[in-house]
Amino acid sequence: MLVTKERIDIDRQQVLRSIGYGTDCKLPTRLASLVDDYVENVHNLIEPSYSCVVRDINLVQDSRVIIDGSIIFESKVIASLLEQCEKAAVFLVTIGEHLEEMAYRLVEDGLIVQATVLDAIGSVAAEGVADFVQGRVREIADDRGLVISQRFSPGCCDWDICQQRRLFWAVGGDSMGIHLTDGCLMIPRKSISGIIGIGPRDGNVENCNPCKTCDKHNCHGRRGM
Amino acid sequence: MAEDILALIKENVIQGRVTRDDEGFDEGLVGQAGVSELAKEALAQGVSSQDIIKLGLSEGMDIVGQKFEAKKYYLPDMLASAKAVGAVMEILEPYLTRSNIKPKGKIIMATVKGDFHDIGKNIVSILLRGAGYMVKDLGNDIDPQVIVAAVREEKPQFLGLSALLTSTMLRMKDTIQALTEGGVRDKVKVIIGGVGTSEEFAQSIGADGYGADGFQAVRVVDKLNTSRKD
Repeated sequence: MLVTKERIDIDRQQVLRSIGYGTDCKLPTRLASLVDDYVENVHNLIEPSYSCVVRDINLVQDSRVIIDGSIIFESKVIASLLEQCEKAAVFLVTIGEHLEEMAYRLVEDGLIVQATVLDAIGSVAAEGVADFVQGRVREIADDRGLVISQRFSPGCCDWDICQQRRLFWAVGGDSMGIHLTDGCLMIPRKSISGIIGIGPRDGNVENCNPCKTCDKHNCHGRRGM
Repeated sequence: MAEDILALIKENVIQGRVTRDDEGFDEGLVGQAGVSELAKEALAQGVSSQDIIKLGLSEGMDIVGQKFEAKKYYLPDMLASAKAVGAVMEILEPYLTRSNIKPKGKIIMATVKGDFHDIGKNIVSILLRGAGYMVKDLGNDIDPQVIVAAVREEKPQFLGLSALLTSTMLRMKDTIQALTEGGVRDKVKVIIGGVGTSEEFAQSIGADGYGADGFQAVRVVDKLNTSRKD
């Protein structure tokens, strides 16, 4: 496990977007003050840590991917993402449990607006840690003259969330204080796991977007075309 | 006089103001009475709790719903209004009990097994309470058999199921199947919701209704409630 000393910047606009506000919306003063206050003071509730391993991809065939001889993932989407890649970075990030404990307390106290804003900040912070890890993987790839793919997480598209266990084992999730429920969800909830492909700079890896060929047009996770 | 105070309650529901210390959606309202002070004042004036609910809270929330659908209000604005309604309902509770006023119906809410996402469920629960329903919230990550047992014991007219993940959406089908196997499917109308769900998905798993957002969920429950009584 690595605990990043980096301060995870919380993008205020991203927080507002995640609770529905676009840039052209009227933002009530009370909400603007609340979001500003939380974004400014939330850092003591965020303990960013991550684990990431870069391993060789041994086989990509149909919907099966074998990494490092023993990590097997089954997913057409992940197979298409990694088809042109030589290596895969498997990662796990979390912001710890303090923020969600505070959000629970706010709900119990009936402060549901505050809890919703804090929860949104937690999601943005967790994505921020994942962005940080993705940046580190990009640096590793760059040093080798390679590029990285988009990142995907178990539970997305056809990648069965149960395969979270294989990913968890690969990165030593238990040592990060994260545990999996029977349904393979992570506790603390503000945690993200996933995979990033590393491959040649020929355009196929960077530009691979499985969403382009997916017919779930209303999917909330659909990536930009 | 009663009309004046009911109009003020309605306006402060729209503004999402519980007490006089609260800011509203619009600025410059701090210091003016919020719904809590207004509801107490209305009761002191002899306004009935039914009128406060119907002409103050429900009419206010109708407008909040219209603003939400017109994208003039967003999630936190709607939650502030729902909280204002909840605050008044707490004040009115002893009056409603004393007057023997029954809730419109009873609904059990749950996020299905394997899913911990509960914000949507909590919002729908608040709106349903504000709309006059008795809500029992089982929480999240709820096993189908726990839901079946709760339906048997609580005898609700409605069951609201929530899921966010594409993988856990399928647990809604398992839950409906468990209701059937437990012999209680015909005792309860099942309404589903959650980011990945849709009307088509609801139909495909045998649910009775689908709410795309909190307000639509309330409308669907209202509609099913009316047809149940017809």
